[in-house]
Order: sequence, then C-alpha cells, then structure tokens
Amino acid sequence: MLAELINPYYLQVLSFILINIILGVSIYITLSTGQLSLGHAGFMGIGAYASAILTLDYHMPLVVGIVVGAILAGIVGLCIGIPTLRLQGVYLAIATLGFGEVIRVLFINLEGLTKGAVGISSIPHIGRELVKGLQDFGFKASMIGLKNNQLISLSVFLLLLIITLLIIAFFIRQTNSRVGRAFAAIKMDERAAEAMGVNITYYKVLAFAQGAMVAGFAGALFAHVTAYISPADFSYHRAVEILIFAIFGGSEVIWGPIFGAAFLTAMPEILREVNEYRYMIYGVLLVVMMAFRPQGLIDTQMIYKLKQRRKKKGVS
Amino acid sequence: MRKFSKGLISLVAVSSLLGITACGGGGTSSEPAGGEKPAAETAASGDTVNVNVGVVSILTGSGAGYGEAITNGLKLANKEITEQGKVKLNLLIEDSAGKQEQALSSAQKLMNSDNVSAIIGPTLSTEMNVVGPEADMNGVPIIGTSTTAQGIPQIGDYVFRNSIPESMAIPASIDAAVKAYDVKKVAIIYGNDDVFTKSGFDTMKAVAEEKGLEITTIEEFQKGQADYNAQLTKIKGTNPDLILASALYNEGAVIMSQARKMGITAPFVGGNGFNSPEVIKIAGEAAEGLIVATPWFGDKQDEKVQAFVEKYTAEYGKAPDQFAAQAYDALYVLADAVERAGSDDRDAIRDALAETKGFKGILGEMSFDEEGDIVMDPTVLTIKDGKFQLFQ
Repeated sequence: MLAELINPYYLQVLSFILINIILGVSIYITLSTGQLSLGHAGFMGIGAYASAILTLDYHMPLVVGIVVGAILAGIVGLCIGIPTLRLQGVYLAIATLGFGEVIRVLFINLEGLTKGAVGISSIPHIGRELVKGLQDFGFKASMIGLKNNQLISLSVFLLLLIITLLIIAFFIRQTNSRVGRAFAAIKMDERAAEAMGVNITYYKVLAFAQGAMVAGFAGALFAHVTAYISPADFSYHRAVEILIFAIFGGSEVIWGPIFGAAFLTAMPEILREVNEYRYMIYGVLLVVMMAFRPQGLIDTQMIYKLKQRRKKKGVS
Repeated sequence: MRKFSKGLISLVAVSSLLGITACGGGGTSSEPAGGEKPAAETAASGDTVNVNVGVVSILTGSGAGYGEAITNGLKLANKEITEQGKVKLNLLIEDSAGKQEQALSSAQKLMNSDNVSAIIGPTLSTEMNVVGPEADMNGVPIIGTSTTAQGIPQIGDYVFRNSIPESMAIPASIDAAVKAYDVKKVAIIYGNDDVFTKSGFDTMKAVAEEKGLEITTIEEFQKGQADYNAQLTKIKGTNPDLILASALYNEGAVIMSQARKMGITAPFVGGNGFNSPEVIKIAGEAAEGLIVATPWFGDKQDEKVQAFVEKYTAEYGKAPDQFAAQAYDALYVLADAVERAGSDDRDAIRDALAETKGFKGILGEMSFDEEGDIVMDPTVLTIKDGKFQLFQ
C-alpha cells in the first residue's frame, strides 16, 4: 500500500519545489528591506560549489559541507552588501547581476578547483548517503516494504521538508520580531525609519547577508540532490527565475514567494502532457498574472481578508 | 471591493487557462495510450516482445533543434522496427527543456510512473551527468545518443552511449591532417565557457602533446562572441601549420571566415560540434579546409545510408544530421538487444546491450566496450568545393 503510493517521480518534483521554496524565501528576505538583488544565483553557486568541493575533495561530511557552503555565501553576501548599500532599485539590481556573472566566470576559470565549464560530477547524494548510513545501522528499505530508490527519494524529501519548514518558521518569527519590523520600516521609507532611530545600515546588510546565506544553503542542497553542478546552472537565468518566484507569488508576505516557487516549479511538470506547448502556457500565465495582479498573487490584503474570514467563522 | 473583484477575475483567468491545458493534455496523451493497449495484447500472445522505451529529449527551449532531430530519427527507426515486427517498442517521449532538474524529473517519471525498460537520451552531457547515476542505481539501461563528454559511460554499468566521444573523433582528424599536411606547429582556439568545447580542447591539447607537435599559442573565446580578430592576429603571428578549433559550428564558422579574410590559409581541425552543413552556409568559401571526424556521413556510398537519407527527407522535409542518425541507430541497437534478450526485463536488456558486437548500422560497425562506450571508426571529412567530402 505504502510502497505503491511512494513514487520517486513525485518526490523528485516535490524535492525541487522545496529547494525552490528556500530560494524564494532567500529573495523575500532581501526584498523585505526593499533591496532588489539579482545576485542570488551567484550566492547559490557559492554554496553549491563550496559544499561540493568540501565533500568531494576534502571528504568532509555532508552536513559540514552544506553548513560551510551556506556560511561562506553569507560572508560573501556581507562583503557585497556593505559596498552596495548606497545603491537602490535598478542600480542595485545591475550591481548584483554583475556580481553573479563574476562568480559564474570565476567558476569557469578556476579550473583546478571547479573543473571549469565541464562541471563537478558524482557529488555525494543526500539520499544515497543517508540510506547508506541507515544500512550501516542494519536498517533496510525492504523492512518497511519499500524499494531502495523509493527510500532514497523519500528520505531526501522528508529531510528537505523539515529543513524548509524550519527556515519558514524562523523567518515568520523574525518578521514579527524587532528585526522584521525594522525591515518593514526600511522598505516603507528609509529616511523615516532612520529618523525613528532604526540603524538602517545594520538592518540592510543583515537582510542582504541573510538572503545570501539562505540562497547558499539552497545551492548546497541543490548540489547534493542533483549530484552534478556546472557554472551554467548559476547564470542570470537562475537569478531571474528566483526573482520571478517572489514577483509572481507576491513579495509582501513570506507566503507569496513560497507559493510562487511551488506553483512555478510544479507548473512545467503538470503541463508535461502538452509537451512542446508547456513553456508557451507558462509564459502566458506569467503575462496574465502580471496584468491582473502586479503586486503578486498573495499580498497583505489577501492574508488580512483570509484571517478576518477565519475570525468570523470562529465567532459564528 | 473593486480589488476583490479584480482578484476574482484573475482567478477565473488562471483557472480557465488550467482548463485549456488539461483539455490539451487529454488530447495528446490519448494517442500513445491508445497505441499501447493493443500492443500489450500482442505481447501476451507471445509472438513479439513488447517493450516501453523512455526518451528524454529537448523539445522546448534553445536546444530544441537537437531534440527535434533526435526524436525524428527515433520515430523513423521505430516505424521501421514495428513494420519488421520482430519487437515492438513503445516510445514515450518526455521533454527536459535542456535543464538538469527537468531531465531528472522526467527520467524519474519514465522509470517509476511509466515503468520503461530502457531510456534513450538525454540530449546534453550535463543532463546525462544527473540522470545517468539515477538510472544506473535503478537498474535501467540508458543510451546517450548525443552525449560526447568524458566520463559518461563510466557512470555505471547501465549507462551506454553510441555517440563517439571527442577523445575518439579528434585524434582521428588530427592524425589525418598531420599525415596529409606534414604538420609541425599547431595553434589552438577554443570556447572556454562551454562543456562541449572545453572538453574538446582538453583532448586537442593532449593529442597535440602526445604527437610531439609544437603548440604555438592557445587562445580562448566566449560563447556568442562576434569578433575574433584579436585571437586570430595572435595566431597568425605564430604562423602555425594547422589550427585546432574547438568551437560549435555557429562560432566556428565565423572564426573561419574572419581567419580567411585575415589571410590565414592553414587548414582547421574541428570537433564534433563544428561538424555541420551550416558552416558552409555561414562561412561560404572560407569554410574550405575544415577537417572533422564524424560518425555520420550522409553522402556515403552505402545502401543503408542512402535509404535512410531518402526516407528521412521524405518524412520530415530536410536532410538528416548527425543527431538524427545517431538516434536512429541507437534505437536499432536497442531493438536488437531486446530481441536477443527476449523480454522486457531491464537486466536482460542491459546484458544483451553490453554484448552488442559488430552491429551494422548507418553509422558503420558498432560495438560497446566493457564500460559501455562505443567502439567504431569515425570517418574523416573535409570541406572541399562547397561540400563535405571524404578526406584523403
């Protein structure tokens, strides 16, 4: 029964959705202080490459690789965030876009470390490593009536689900905390926030570094889920894709990018039936969305209304 | 209130779009499903083996041209195989859009939802690097028809390819050129940000060093570059006997054209990606003197080859390229293996595939080595009098 329900195909798609949700959250954090970054593909690449190299060449455990990848991306985010503080809107977008391209070209040219354009293959796979670990403890897939590949996909999915939920929970808490309010104030009006005594330098850099770190974290997970990365994976296409998650879903509340990432990743898979036309439909959908809801599908008003409705129901 | 109604409109728009796609999906998917059922019945009667074959190819996006050639080649081969009636292959074609994640998802779908016995594809080596290990772990034989990068068959026992790697094509063409032109000095130019041209360059450099040729200079360019004069001026200054160019045909053609204008007369040796009739179209007379080694030569005086070219042209309105030919042969190799295996069992098909020896296809005689890599003699061609000819 259970064995038939668990299809590695669905779990695979769900795993990519979860990784994209983390990416969506990462862009949401930088956007929540009004900073438009197109460098998230670069941060993602730093996380992915750092973790891949550490686990492959230096035989570090996966956990260490992923964490170090995320922290490294965060540090680079800090270094980029400080000098670009004065830039706003489109100017910041262009600067970060440039940063992303620099990172990509570095991956291509640091051949000794990154194997250049050919990319790094046979990176340790999260699921396969986990299942191997379980087997060492004498636990086998057949014990719960599953095939090996089902267990691998399932373990990847569950692990990513827990991680994603923790990240979402953390940032929901943060939004409602002093930091979150400072972010919101800066987004509304930087000068007013400064006048009210909010340290905008600190909070803007914090948001930028947090976003970079989460993107790096997602990148590290991505590397260990696909087991292969190449510089082309972190080009500006990816940066725009990440940005679209937030723009499509809405960047005012955290649920926007989460929904955007989930919907836009699932869409091409749902449309698999129509083969050649699926990206056409995907494109039309984006145009329609932007025409009717330029603020994104989910905004504060929508959340407010939903809450009110729930309250009414609760009363009656 | 107005905002609310606006939201309603957009919701209606989105849901109606979903409705359209759902209908469209029903329409196209009914075809293969309809074709499958009667086939399954014949398998039950025991005459022919009925096997589901998954295809992962690029149907959308910038690489769709390759995917089209590959799927056309496969469909044509499948039509003939079905007519011959020894085995029945049901092709289930999925799109990868040229992205690793999508390739992996579609392969997972084929392996787990559609229960295919073998997979043909994916198109790009980068995609194969992601899909290969997964297929190998699940024990599904997978044949790459256009994946030429290093290390593909080494992924695992279940991974095969019938496209000749650069490490086979480039030495053959350099050998031929060195013999014909008495080459001592070579210059190399390559694209450093593409998997394909980069791995081609690695092979070129290794081969040149191995043969004791003096490398006068190594020049790099990037994807989409339009002006190569800086690199070419440098190359011209070192006066090489031969220029090794690891470039895709669109950039390579421009490089040749600019080189000839500059007065460089040395012949060029290109990799697999340089081998396209488009080079002649783009560079015109400047393309003369390009030497490539290829598994596929459409003007070969061979009955099988000419029959294939004729049929393909009649069916799709254009001459087949290398990718169509490789896909066509791959399906025949697979059909042959399925026939010998006599069942749709994945392991039986893998073992039969591994035993493939001296299979005569349109590309020539093919065998797989222990690793699952192709063994065959590539043909060396050169551009002369405005068309590809055998190099002598």
